[in-house]
Amino acid sequence: MKKCFKCKNKASVFLPQHRLSLCKDHYIQWFESRVEKTVKEFKMFTKQDSILVSVSGGKDSLSLWNALYKLGYNVDGFYINLGIGEYSQRSKELATAFSEKIGRKLYILELSDEILPIPEIRKVDFKPACSVCGTVKRYYMNKKAKELGYNIITTGHNLDDESAVLFSNTINWNIDYLKRQYPVLNEENGFIRKVKPLCKISEKESAMYAILSNIDYIEEECPFSEGATSIDYKIYLSILEEKSPGTKLRFYSEFLRNMYSILKSSEKVELGKCEICGEPSLNKICAVCNLKRKLKEKEVL
Amino acid sequence: MKIDVVYRGKKLILEFDKEKVKVQDILKHLNLSRYYAFVIKDGEILDENEYIKDGEVVRVVNAISGG
Repeated sequence: MKKCFKCKNKASVFLPQHRLSLCKDHYIQWFESRVEKTVKEFKMFTKQDSILVSVSGGKDSLSLWNALYKLGYNVDGFYINLGIGEYSQRSKELATAFSEKIGRKLYILELSDEILPIPEIRKVDFKPACSVCGTVKRYYMNKKAKELGYNIITTGHNLDDESAVLFSNTINWNIDYLKRQYPVLNEENGFIRKVKPLCKISEKESAMYAILSNIDYIEEECPFSEGATSIDYKIYLSILEEKSPGTKLRFYSEFLRNMYSILKSSEKVELGKCEICGEPSLNKICAVCNLKRKLKEKEVL
Repeated sequence: MKIDVVYRGKKLILEFDKEKVKVQDILKHLNLSRYYAFVIKDGEILDENEYIKDGEVVRVVNAISGG
């Protein structure tokens, strides 16, 4: 094993894309400093803001919450119980235990109180489960954060998530999605500001930080994510990464630097309000109200 | 040589037809890349060239998640 670049003790971690070996303490320091640099680079928020972390109980959201808390930000958690059997039960327990450990509030929303648990929705709505989950999470996160008085929502999306989505949006030339692929989505028309401070941190870096910081997170995969195309894209990108370390970071960072500004200057998508609930929406009826309508038509809600 | 591995909350027994097993052999056995997976023992991340001794229990972490 190599020696730590900072203190010359035995290194615990080697980061090929940065050509950096670090011991446990200096790795934790490196991770937190990278999060803080990203927050500042994209002007995500300051210590005066009230921040709500979208917590799933997984490594990314808990690592993010831990790092922001240690960096001195005013940050609480928000967990949505999706009702996916043992997986949701366990992730809820872990999220709750973590909030108690750091002494910060965790708000819990039961999807069964609002609509139905995901497995019930899945019986009548045949969209991929991850797409339904994403829709309800985005909707309730925004709605509840406003009601609770927070002005920033932050999610644990990491470099692998962002580069896989970028890869998918590029393969499909989905320009409208590419226009919104920025680590900061500013507040507008009923949306509060949404930011991704882990966008330059890989999934492995996030998992290593969680392990070395003694964060107990849910390691099991959501049973519905099996076969998700995002996993395939991540594997393809990891093959490129293996051949040429730093490819993922370059793909994503250079998109933001060279391409995003071109896309941003083109025609903007106008957001309206949902005729039913008043939340921001591209269509007359938002995705969640549309889902509820569909469930009512099938007499399951 | 047999090695007890904890992977995504499940206990697995991996069998190798050699007597000295390295961390990288375990990753290879599970078809995982060092670019997204690693092995830990007693809370420490192991170097891919480290040997695992008979009877030691290690945890394999696959950082890739979907959704």
